[in-house]
Amino acid sequence: MSLDTLPPATLPAVAPPRKESRRGGAKLDTVTKLVIAGVVLILMILIGYPLVRILTQAFTVEGLGTLQDIFSSSANRTVLVNTVILGVLVGIVGTAVGFAFAYAQARLDFRGKRLLHLIALLPIVSPPFAVATAVITLFGRSGLITNKLLGQDYNIYGLTGLTLVLSLSFFPVAYMNLLGMLRSLDPATDEAALSLGANRWKIFRSVTIPMLIPGFASCFLLLFVEAIADLANPLVIGGDFTVLSSRAYIAITGEYDVASGAAYSLVLLVPGLLVFLIQRYWAERRSVVSVTGKPSGNITLLRSPLGRVPLLAAVFAIATLIIAIYVTVFVGAFTAILGVNNTFTLANYRYVLSGIGSDAMFTTTILALIATPIAGALGMILAWLVVRKIRRGRGALDFLGMLGLAVPGTVLGIGYAVAFNRPLIIGNIQLLPALAGGGAIFGGALAIVMVYVIRSMPSGQRSGIASLQQIDPAIDEASTSLGASGFRTFWSITLPLIRPALLSGLTYAFARAMTTLSPIIFITTPQTKIMTSQILSEVDAGRFGNAFAYCTILIAIVLGVIGLMNLIIRDRSAPTRTS
Amino acid sequence: MKRKVALSMAILGSTALSLTGCVVDDTQQASADGELSGSLTVACGAMEDWCQAMTTAFTEKTGVQTDFVRLSSGETVARLEAAKSSPEFDVWHGGPADGYGTASDAGLLEQYESPNAAQIPAKYRDAENFWTGVYVGALGFCSNQAKLDSLGVDVPTAWDDLLDPKLAGQVSTAHPSTSGTAFTTMWTQVTLANGDEDAAFDYMRKLHNNVLQYSKSGTAPGQAAGRGEAAVGLVFTHDCVKYKEAGMTDLQVSLPEEGTGYEVGGVGIVKGTQNLAAAQAYIDWSLTPEAQDIGPTVGSYQVLTNPESVQDERMIDLGTTNLVDYDFAAAAAAKKELTTRFDEEIAAQPRE
Amino acid sequence: MATSLSTTRETPRTASPAGSLQLTDLVKQYPGSAGTEPAVAGITLDIRPGEFLTLLGPSGCGKTTTLRMIAGFETPSHGTLTLDGEDMIALTPDKRPMAMVFQSYALFPHMSVFDNVAYGLRLQRFPRKRVQEEVDFALASMSLTKLADRAPNQLSGGQQQRVALARAMVMKPKVLLFDEPLSNLDAKLRVQMRTEIRALQHKLGITSVYVTHDQDEAMSLSDRIVVMRQGRIEQVATPDTVYRKPASVFVADFIGRANFLDTTIDTLVTDGGGNRATVRALGATYVVPAHDALVTGSPVCLMVRPESVALSPAPESREVTGSYGRVLKSVFYGAWVEYEIETVDGNVTAVIHDPAPGDILASGTFVQVSFEQDRAWLLPADD
Repeated sequence: MSLDTLPPATLPAVAPPRKESRRGGAKLDTVTKLVIAGVVLILMILIGYPLVRILTQAFTVEGLGTLQDIFSSSANRTVLVNTVILGVLVGIVGTAVGFAFAYAQARLDFRGKRLLHLIALLPIVSPPFAVATAVITLFGRSGLITNKLLGQDYNIYGLTGLTLVLSLSFFPVAYMNLLGMLRSLDPATDEAALSLGANRWKIFRSVTIPMLIPGFASCFLLLFVEAIADLANPLVIGGDFTVLSSRAYIAITGEYDVASGAAYSLVLLVPGLLVFLIQRYWAERRSVVSVTGKPSGNITLLRSPLGRVPLLAAVFAIATLIIAIYVTVFVGAFTAILGVNNTFTLANYRYVLSGIGSDAMFTTTILALIATPIAGALGMILAWLVVRKIRRGRGALDFLGMLGLAVPGTVLGIGYAVAFNRPLIIGNIQLLPALAGGGAIFGGALAIVMVYVIRSMPSGQRSGIASLQQIDPAIDEASTSLGASGFRTFWSITLPLIRPALLSGLTYAFARAMTTLSPIIFITTPQTKIMTSQILSEVDAGRFGNAFAYCTILIAIVLGVIGLMNLIIRDRSAPTRTS
Repeated sequence: MKRKVALSMAILGSTALSLTGCVVDDTQQASADGELSGSLTVACGAMEDWCQAMTTAFTEKTGVQTDFVRLSSGETVARLEAAKSSPEFDVWHGGPADGYGTASDAGLLEQYESPNAAQIPAKYRDAENFWTGVYVGALGFCSNQAKLDSLGVDVPTAWDDLLDPKLAGQVSTAHPSTSGTAFTTMWTQVTLANGDEDAAFDYMRKLHNNVLQYSKSGTAPGQAAGRGEAAVGLVFTHDCVKYKEAGMTDLQVSLPEEGTGYEVGGVGIVKGTQNLAAAQAYIDWSLTPEAQDIGPTVGSYQVLTNPESVQDERMIDLGTTNLVDYDFAAAAAAKKELTTRFDEEIAAQPRE
Repeated sequence: MATSLSTTRETPRTASPAGSLQLTDLVKQYPGSAGTEPAVAGITLDIRPGEFLTLLGPSGCGKTTTLRMIAGFETPSHGTLTLDGEDMIALTPDKRPMAMVFQSYALFPHMSVFDNVAYGLRLQRFPRKRVQEEVDFALASMSLTKLADRAPNQLSGGQQQRVALARAMVMKPKVLLFDEPLSNLDAKLRVQMRTEIRALQHKLGITSVYVTHDQDEAMSLSDRIVVMRQGRIEQVATPDTVYRKPASVFVADFIGRANFLDTTIDTLVTDGGGNRATVRALGATYVVPAHDALVTGSPVCLMVRPESVALSPAPESREVTGSYGRVLKSVFYGAWVEYEIETVDGNVTAVIHDPAPGDILASGTFVQVSFEQDRAWLLPADD
């Protein structure tokens, strides 16, 4: 034997680098193939078909005219530029706020940490109009704070107000993602930097921040897409500031011009598609977060007041703002019009709970409850296919899933109306009965559930993908090599491992379904009264008390259901022997 | 509860039907003659409680189960268009007549000359009987008295009053290309200038200096005035009354003496309805004073088109109001060009 | 512990005796990398039933890809793969009668040790009682019985790998695949596990394919070693042959340590035991065993393992000439001494085992250098 038999103590036991990007070269088993076919079929029905039906309108004469106009008319160009500015601003501000909350949560020690966590999650439930209307009530030109308290004549309408409202509404996504990343960062890297003589601030700048860059990028992109697709807020607080989503809505509802609306939406898809591609090809490839093993060592908390005080001050200021907004909604429900007529009244709740409103409350909750597990499951399966099973065309599949979020709701709604109002018939075989509208099965409820599913699935899909990328693919392969089919592996191995992602996916899905407005307008029927569209009509009628009462109840329902879901799908820390 | 059970039975029934019917059955259910039966679905363009009250009253009167979906005009047109071949609605009730015009141009409405239509003044109904007017709303000034007092301005009673420099940044109006209300304002100026679009734009340009911002929704200016964010909002007067009733008690309605524009709320039959007899009965009924008088009881204070309807004190009096001679067809034809011009010449300009 | 497998239970513990694996011209070219060298460039192997075969080579040599093709996690671009005559390529990984042990263990973190091991059996819908028996037996044979209810993250690395082994073996697959299973363990444990794996495999007689970049693992475990380089096979042979008669300079260098001396063939004779060549090296003439492919005039390289080098005192010499060399460096390792010696043919490493006290040569000492000619090996020079 040679001397090399002795343990080479100086040589670290480094395995050759694995070709992670080349995973998934295996032949797919039949069950997995069927699952892929099923998922693709479902996506084609849920989003592909209605979208094709509507977007082809963008290529009619009127639509093409509008497309041309978007680039030739200065007014339309402004709209395009506005949209991008808004997306970028919300992306930056939302990510920054999310990071501030996440960093405080992960690296600071202070009283009220748990409470701050809950406050940061509160905006996940933001019914359309609630946040914007509350912000106007508080900070508008005659707002309770800006005018009555500070005597200012400040105009909140426009870009400032929009950025504020959208950032507050969407930052929880960034917060959750970044918190997860901060917690999975190996403290050893911090310690290494510390031992090399770097001070806290230097570590923050040169170690923590660069490690999180992929996280920042993906948060930014998600917020960008959410911000430019949002409709209700630009309508309420946009003022003169017009963006593509509100322009498309106006084209359809104010100008009776569906073709132009489709054209605007088509343009709206471009930035969405672009950021999506950037994310795929840049952010995901540069992921540096340690993906295996648990963090070693303990996180050293930031103690220097120089960093602590400003950060905590900022975070608590924002938290106070969030509380103020939700308190406004809550208090507003007990007055006729908060800020104008502050008489205490219970009439709003009477109207909402026993009047026309109660039907809407039940219908909306039930339909959202049906849609949520479907959206959650579909999102997880899609994430699993994209990360683990499909190599060629996985980008396309991923994008197809994300379309539900990227397409403006108005367009989606009309697409559904066009596509599903009558039975889908080829030859004389009825492939699908009519799904949407008054004459459809289940009184059109099925189409609403479908919209809820496609609209709320992408959040689950994203968290599923992020979560799966953290799990060693060998665990899947081990299961396969023990004889489990692809889907069996997903069910008994993958799904339990991504339980937290599933839970957060379901949470988002339910919250989103309950607060979806714009596509619903086009497919509600007498049998399906939906809370959000009721809120819209109450706001329209100036009955803000009723609108706030609806919002309060909606928030209560969502929080209640999320709480229940947490109880049902709680994270089991220790496995139990099931034999 | 009973209704819920009935509903779920109906849903189950229809599911069974549609699921078993895998092969398409082309025969359609014939609409019953004589005795009214079946059900109606109304696309309702007015306020929620108005729609509720109207459909409930019709059901009680005729036994035809009548349901509604509340939709704006644009949404209604889009949905009618989308479901042209198998309409989900039978009747469209409420909402501005320009939407009805668009719909009839697109072949989405059914002509019907109601025997009751004769009672309605000719200018409030369609010459070809695609729609008939059920109410009229006049454009007016919705002012916040407290705000005006603090500015030291009287309640405006003329279009020129809005140009008072003291009202800089205090006038709220919607954008003409996004709101029918604001377009009515603009076309009123064109009409007042005897068709001289440049003169109308002159006025809009001057007004621009006093405008806080152009909101998306036509009703938002009323809310802005109600909150005291602006002193005057340009809205239909019945919206202003509506907000006042909802609790914005500082609001004050006034009308321009030079003359003002108006909208007509229509009613019409959707082409291809499965229940023509009931739909026609609904139109007939909606034109009666009995039906129209429901409006004020649920907080809708538009002027009613049937002269025999009760005049509520919160409605404006058409007898004393100076309405311009509003040419809806010409307005619709000029809309695209005017709004584009407005976008480029006025909205984008800085204020002095 | 491994011996506990040789029990007298009624049910035979050994897998079906077959397990003959044929790889024919397997090629893996990743999509999008056309024009570049394939990851695996044509591997042909005939793995015998019950054989323990190791794929050895540096990072990126294609050994893992080859293993993953056998397992079915990669689809070959070209070539065939049969197990006992049955085509495997058509089968998805879950349908192949093989089980794999992973570098990262890949235990299911949400399942107990027992459930991990029972997983595959339950998939096959074995009766509950049977599962219990089989798992208990597997756990007992890996000394894991007491840990059955633990979660994987409560186990040490060695215990985790034992669970992974038990999980694979309980399936009684026709082929066991190992993907660097020991590289995450510390050195001592690695040696211990190595012994266990070998003993277990002997008992069970399951055909095994083992990937490693650690030559000691390969030497100690294998019936045969496949040395790979850049997607190709350099040599397939027993550990002894690979070590003593490497097919190329690459193999010689990769397995163990070697001195390579430039030389030329004086004469070449072929007898029953293979080629023998007369060469000059280190100022002397040696008759050494030579590679089959050599002919007179071939560019050659003489491999001399450090432990074959012999040093004797050379008091009369004060310069590096002929067979005399000078000690440049000496390092004492306890059981042996390692010398670096300057010679006329360049620097030579020598290892002297069990040196007597006081026998260690200091730097600068002149010595006479020679080697045992039967243990040297003449092979084609690298091009």
